Amino acid sequence: MPLSAQPPASGERYALSASLDNARHLSSLLRAVHFQDHATCLATASGLRVTVEDAKCIQANAFIQAEIFQEFSVQEESVMFRISLSVLLDCLTIFGTSSLPGTSTALRMCYRGYGYPLMLFLEEGGVVTVCKINTQEPDELLDFDFCSTKVVNKIILQSEGLREAFAELDMTSEVLQITMSPDKPYFRLSTFGNAGSAHLDYPRDSDLMEAFHCSQTQTNRYKISLLKPSTKALALSCKVSIRTDAQGFLSLQYMIRNEDGQICFVEYYCCPDENITEAEL
Amino acid sequence: MKCVIAGGNVKVLGRAVHSLSRIGDELYLEPTESGLSLRAVNSSRSGFASFLFAPLFFQLYEPGSAGPETELFRCKVHMKSFLGIFRSLPSLEKSVGKCLILLKPRASRLVLQLHCKYGVTKTHNLAFQECERLQAVFDTQSCTSHLCAPARLLAEAVVHFPPTLAEVTLGTGPGGKISLRNYVEDEAEPSKTMVTELWLAEDEFQSVAVAPGSHITFCLKEFRGLLSFAEASNLPLTIHFDEPGRPVIFTLDDTVLEVHLVLATLSDLQSNSQSPSTNGVSHLPAPSDDFADDLESYMVAMETSEGGSERPPSPTFPLRAPQPAQSEPEEEEEEEGAVPGTPPHKKFRSLFFGSVMTPGRPGPATTQEVLAEDSEGES
Amino acid sequence: MRFRAKIVDLACLNHFSRIINTIAKLAKTCILRLTVCKLYFILSDKVANGGASMWCELSQGNFFDEFQMEGVAAEHNEIYLELVPENLSRALKTSQSAKAVKMKLTNKHSPCLRVAVELPSLSSSSRIVTHDIPVGVIPRRMWNDFREPSVPDFDVSIYLPVLKTMKSVVERMKNLSNFIVIEANLSGEMNLKIETDLVSVTTHFKDLGNPPWASEDGCQSSAQGRDLESMTEACIDIKKLQQLLAGQQVNPTKALCNIVHKRIVHFILLHEEVSLQYFIPAIS
Repeated sequence: MPLSAQPPASGERYALSASLDNARHLSSLLRAVHFQDHATCLATASGLRVTVEDAKCIQANAFIQAEIFQEFSVQEESVMFRISLSVLLDCLTIFGTSSLPGTSTALRMCYRGYGYPLMLFLEEGGVVTVCKINTQEPDELLDFDFCSTKVVNKIILQSEGLREAFAELDMTSEVLQITMSPDKPYFRLSTFGNAGSAHLDYPRDSDLMEAFHCSQTQTNRYKISLLKPSTKALALSCKVSIRTDAQGFLSLQYMIRNEDGQICFVEYYCCPDENITEAEL
Repeated sequence: MKCVIAGGNVKVLGRAVHSLSRIGDELYLEPTESGLSLRAVNSSRSGFASFLFAPLFFQLYEPGSAGPETELFRCKVHMKSFLGIFRSLPSLEKSVGKCLILLKPRASRLVLQLHCKYGVTKTHNLAFQECERLQAVFDTQSCTSHLCAPARLLAEAVVHFPPTLAEVTLGTGPGGKISLRNYVEDEAEPSKTMVTELWLAEDEFQSVAVAPGSHITFCLKEFRGLLSFAEASNLPLTIHFDEPGRPVIFTLDDTVLEVHLVLATLSDLQSNSQSPSTNGVSHLPAPSDDFADDLESYMVAMETSEGGSERPPSPTFPLRAPQPAQSEPEEEEEEEGAVPGTPPHKKFRSLFFGSVMTPGRPGPATTQEVLAEDSEGES
Repeated sequence: MRFRAKIVDLACLNHFSRIINTIAKLAKTCILRLTVCKLYFILSDKVANGGASMWCELSQGNFFDEFQMEGVAAEHNEIYLELVPENLSRALKTSQSAKAVKMKLTNKHSPCLRVAVELPSLSSSSRIVTHDIPVGVIPRRMWNDFREPSVPDFDVSIYLPVLKTMKSVVERMKNLSNFIVIEANLSGEMNLKIETDLVSVTTHFKDLGNPPWASEDGCQSSAQGRDLESMTEACIDIKKLQQLLAGQQVNPTKALCNIVHKRIVHFILLHEEVSLQYFIPAIS
């Protein structure tokens, strides 16, 4: 059945309806959390939050606040659904991913409510694409209960300094060990792979270090396969904040500046890996 | 052993490791009084490379002390692990200021520490294995043919061959021209494979001293690794070769660096009565405009052939008859010291190995090309 | 039977290389037909290509500075060769700065198309690279298998949209579905559609224009009396369409397609010196 090329009039009642002049403001952020096929979307008056989880251990959230959109309206208090993130990204980038100067894809998004598909209307250069993506029942999401009062150690680094390190992590190591301390080595990333161990040390007075608040020495280990996808968010961001709480839960918050200079956030939460024997330090 | 490499030389070291990684799975490190030697050998023992960095290459070079009974410490590490440290050459250039290499025999660790921009330090603790000396004995003086060319010339030559091509034949032709041609295995259907041949004039080389009509076939893939190093360092490459079957030696020389790559070459098993265009024997004249054009008779043969559907098969190639490997005295030694390994190409005779060499500089010319086996298991 | 040709002009050489690259993307092996005036690249081994076929025609005078051909016989002054276009593409790939490229049909041990590239060098003589590309000579009795396909009796003929846009859309749709529906009408509208259990995507192109075709009786009556808005459609293998679009390295002067409802889509891409026709059958 042919889909009508006309987006619905604004008067109709949609649970969620939004317009964006440049679809890349949404697609690039979603790519930063695209490590599983499915995502849960939550729309509230503040904006859109897209969550991806894996192994009950890691959660990534992309926040696109309402102010980024040209129009953003949510009828109820909140609207939530599950959707294929791969399909959503293919649709948002239907006209290609390269950004030619001066061209952008305009987007209109409509969601009627529970059980209905998500409708996307994309337009570039007079050509219109209409997408209808089926939605599912949203999953229950993890709650890491991570709040700023429980933070033990926190540093803020310029992303430039970490990008290469994350891209070149020894993936033969099962874990990524993170040490944060008021004393040497201050901030250390370690892997224990087939070759041997590797340590990456950032001194507290490095030019890359924007903030350093470490009160206790903590060493925690995380499954490297779960953290590796965060490299995408790191690549897009200009700054990253790294925080741990008393139980060793890790919070990574990435500050991303879009083409128009607006700021958006992506965050990753990860549980420490309990099931490993003491590795050499 | 302790040494420090600073500035642009870190990238040179990285490139050397990339080059060696094209040869073998293990990197041998041997500190000597004349510098640090990095070596590799391939699994079939038909390719060997060594990079000798003189003490001047380093900001600091302490090979360690050798007593009257102890030798300077040697070890080998997994190539992949070592390569991983130098994987991205552009980022080495951009961010690494200094590289420290420390051999800690008692801790069983080889430590590589990179001092990078912004005060960042990367420390790698690699596991190593002790090993005996990996030494090939070869003598470039005893080769009958020598060619010296800027690396750029050879790089421009190999670009015409696909990156996946395994072997190439280097030959000399009339008028002093030097040719390169892709080697087509017997098993592949000769009438289905494209044959590419490139001719270089003598005056494109820095020096040419070759036996006329000579040719050798060697592994292009392993050579490419050295070629990219030579191109990046802008050093001329010298090729020393002899009869088919005897190894070809590629050398690069610099004030602080000596590089050798030794590759086995294909034995010339065919008889001279075979037709000139089969691979391995380049009796082909330098190309001119008058090629023989026998399509008329070919077409006549086709038009008059009987039978239902298909076009007649192309005239068959005279096939090279496989011959048993030549028996030479070295064969016996090969049995003793041989390490079983699947050769990448069955036809290449292994650069075989004899007994463990005593430490010291490589000896002068012998008639045998011998690779000493690193025989941890044997005494 | 003889063939010798030479290209000296770099622009002609690059253009010829681009055409060969396009052919290589569409066909693993194909037929090269040589006549006095033209070269043809033909693909008609339908079963092997999932039913797609190709006819590409170029005037030799636009590319070659020298062109000598003698066919199998005086009354059949043509040569038909089977070859792997990827070989030719590779041979020409590193000839970007050549002084001259010569081609010659030879038969030393088996028929070959010898491509000899003369490259500049710092020495007194040029560098020569020769590539012997194995070819199969097609006997005259089989030539009938490779005749030019006729233009089908189409329901709609329409100009294609900007190929770059069409290519991006088809590439994304390829991630979502194996089949794509092309539909178009006589009002210059074309839609590309995919539909699966998970998702439906439709891209709408407008104002494309319908090319005027003179019908056999000299008037354009076929369009009259027909509903200009009604869509003619065909569902085809998306990979074949993607390959066709991916192979286009330069924007054609004219690009159009003819659709026979639920039967076949016939693409015609015209550049100044070369025309390419590609037929993709509909999936039943």
